[in-house]
Amino acid sequence: MLELRNVTAAYGQDEVLSGIDLTLNAGEAVALIGESGTGKTTLGHAIMGLCEGVVQGSILFKGKNLLSLDNEAMRKLRWNEIGLVFQNVNNVLNPVYRVIDQVVEPMVVHGLKGKREALLRAGKILEEVGLARNRFVFYPHQLSGGEQQRVLLAMAIANDPELLILDEPLAALDEVAKIQLIPFLLKLNRVRKITLLVLTHDIATAVRLSDRLGSLYGGRVLELGPSESVARLPRHPYTRALIRSYPNITTSKDLQGIKGRLARPVSGCPFHPRCTQAIEICSTQVPRLKDYEGRIVACHRGGVIPLMRAVELTKDFNGCRAVDCVTLTIYGGETLALVGPSGSGKTTLARMLMKFLPPTSGRIYLEDQELRQNCGFSSRVQMIFQNPGESLSHRLTVLDLVSEPLEVAGRLSKEERRQKALQLIAEVQLPQDQTLIQKHPHELSGGELQRVAIARSLALDPDLLIADEPTSALDPSIQAKVLKLLLHIQENRGLSIFFITHDIAVARKISDRIAVMHEGRIVEEGLTSQIITAPEHPCTKALVTSAPSLEKVQKNGVETADAFSVGASEVAKSAVDPL
Amino acid sequence: MHVSIRGAFRKNRFGHIGLILLAGITLLALLAAVIAPTDPHLQTRQSFEPPSASHILGTNHVGQDNWSRLVHGARTSLLVGFLVACAATLISALLGVSCALTGGLYDGIMMRLVDALIIIPAIIILILIFAYVKPDIHFIIMSIALFSWAGGARILRAQTLSLKERAHIWAARSFGGNNWYVMRRHIVPDLSPILVVEFIHAFRRGVFVEAGLAFLGIGDPTTVSWGTIMRNAVEYSYMNVWSWWLLPAGLALSIAILSLTFIAHTLEPIMEPRLREEASA
Repeated sequence: MLELRNVTAAYGQDEVLSGIDLTLNAGEAVALIGESGTGKTTLGHAIMGLCEGVVQGSILFKGKNLLSLDNEAMRKLRWNEIGLVFQNVNNVLNPVYRVIDQVVEPMVVHGLKGKREALLRAGKILEEVGLARNRFVFYPHQLSGGEQQRVLLAMAIANDPELLILDEPLAALDEVAKIQLIPFLLKLNRVRKITLLVLTHDIATAVRLSDRLGSLYGGRVLELGPSESVARLPRHPYTRALIRSYPNITTSKDLQGIKGRLARPVSGCPFHPRCTQAIEICSTQVPRLKDYEGRIVACHRGGVIPLMRAVELTKDFNGCRAVDCVTLTIYGGETLALVGPSGSGKTTLARMLMKFLPPTSGRIYLEDQELRQNCGFSSRVQMIFQNPGESLSHRLTVLDLVSEPLEVAGRLSKEERRQKALQLIAEVQLPQDQTLIQKHPHELSGGELQRVAIARSLALDPDLLIADEPTSALDPSIQAKVLKLLLHIQENRGLSIFFITHDIAVARKISDRIAVMHEGRIVEEGLTSQIITAPEHPCTKALVTSAPSLEKVQKNGVETADAFSVGASEVAKSAVDPL
Repeated sequence: MHVSIRGAFRKNRFGHIGLILLAGITLLALLAAVIAPTDPHLQTRQSFEPPSASHILGTNHVGQDNWSRLVHGARTSLLVGFLVACAATLISALLGVSCALTGGLYDGIMMRLVDALIIIPAIIILILIFAYVKPDIHFIIMSIALFSWAGGARILRAQTLSLKERAHIWAARSFGGNNWYVMRRHIVPDLSPILVVEFIHAFRRGVFVEAGLAFLGIGDPTTVSWGTIMRNAVEYSYMNVWSWWLLPAGLALSIAILSLTFIAHTLEPIMEPRLREEASA
């Protein structure tokens, strides 16, 4: 129905849209999400022929190229066939007309209806969009922002358009009002078969309103696919970052912004300066939209990369199986938490991934390359140990400790190492003064020690941090700070974290996905929100129920003990029979 | 290993005595050329002279000044002891640590060699060797060192085995540090207290074995040594010269050994974790 081919739009030198390719089928609802300034509004205006800049390319609406139509033809099309719900900024409504008259206007102007008829219909529509009757005759300034938005919606659908473009349709409404309006908009789409193009930064609205969801950045579509699947498992780093920074009720991980700021690079993928997995080609060539398993993604790397893959990894210690056929993928830029009771093989798995232990069988791939001894591995994967007091040599000063990895790598001069070490110390939010950097580990507190350990692990700019119970030796307030620091570093550097913990409550706050390990096997794996709210395996259930909680305190312990006995009996079983 | 060597000495009176005695002997050896009135090798016609103003400890059977020989003997003893200690410590550190880090066949073979060296009585082998080969001082030092590293290597290997599983070693490896780096930057410095104790033990052994071999007359006869002095004195004991010929050399040797023993004893807690905890409690 609507087909955009290589649409560009520019205001003078400023290119806002740089080659949009998008097809909307009749009756379909498509949503595009993106930050402010990524070209959403310009796109809507360009389709409506309202864009003040220079629009090029072709916008085919039912076979006609809208860009080649003259003003008159476009005017006929506008409101009748294509409606636009304006974003309620800068008072789009005319302040000197009553709102009902403004809804009547498009019907009368286009000569579709008589005045009376139009008024009746306007009243009906306004009622449908949820405006109180007594407000129909108000002037716009007498209405709240939400009510104005409803009026704008009523105007857009007054002439029964076939395509409705919604530009931040619900941004001015509160959540409850949104929920009320969404079924109405869906009805427009499902019952009246109006094609919807939703442009918004409100991801939840976008998902609810659309069949297909896409992300828009730097005037390009970066990802497009079925709404729910995109929202659950975004493939493009930008879509994922956007979703990660969006507060919703089920995600438990702390919000993370997107590093850097919105700016248009001269060449290459528009997102590459902020991307967590950019490689050289990203800054020189624009990626084309390609099909990856039912998802269209514009990324040279095919979307979020699987950074490390363990395939059927097994480790035996003297006939006792510590890790049993574990297959696991750690994606670029994500936090995967490995949760499990003590003795479930978590540390052994981590040690195999770190190459400290050779696996009995199975393979480990780092970005599709099988691991071999010492080929730049240490600059890709680093470890944070459980007890910082042990992982830091007591003989060295903070400065020496932090510059040690650089010394091993041997690329920098002494002074450069010092400078880099100071940067790292600042990055982990430790004071850079002389007294601290000359201190020895035994003079530092637990939190400071773990920060030093984190600074060390970052020295070689790794892509993956394997953190083995990094906060279990710390008290809660310091643990909170260290976890926040880790998330902050992840946001800035875009590194992946493989976070090992026995505490599912900690995992919940820091991870995107959780894998639950029990008796050497991964028994459950999924999105953190899903695992926490609907655990399936008995062991996961036991972990979730026995996790620390201040609300569900069971003084007599009946409920928790009951739930725990499932896991406990299995643990007991494993104690009797190790295989 | 958070016990510092300085801390160990601060608390221990024996340690002080040992250090002072060793310092005295070292001073004697260093100043030998100044203190000694004559060349220790200079033979005169005045043999078997009792102590006098010109010869504080008299002269020996070929008219050499006993005091000069005693002072120069300190040089030999300390030099042999020190070099034996250096060589033995170096060998034991290299082999002990590398065995622990490498493991496998190499470790197996080396540890069997260590077992063999520990049970073979070194003195007898040395006597046998020196009986056939006329050894000079360098050869003596090397031979003693080659029979003195085994015990140390075994201790260092054991310590390294426990050290190498420590998190900071794993951390160093995770930065890409290879065996050599880990050994140089972490394990050897971490082992330094043990190395010091090993060094002192090897030192004492070096002094003792050198004197013993010289006393048995199978050392280098041209070297001035306490062992040789005592051997000659015993030979001429019927001349009733022991008080100014035999006794001073014997005392000097005893003091040297005693001082090293005191120092070793002071450092013992560093070697033995159980003693260490007791001391800290």
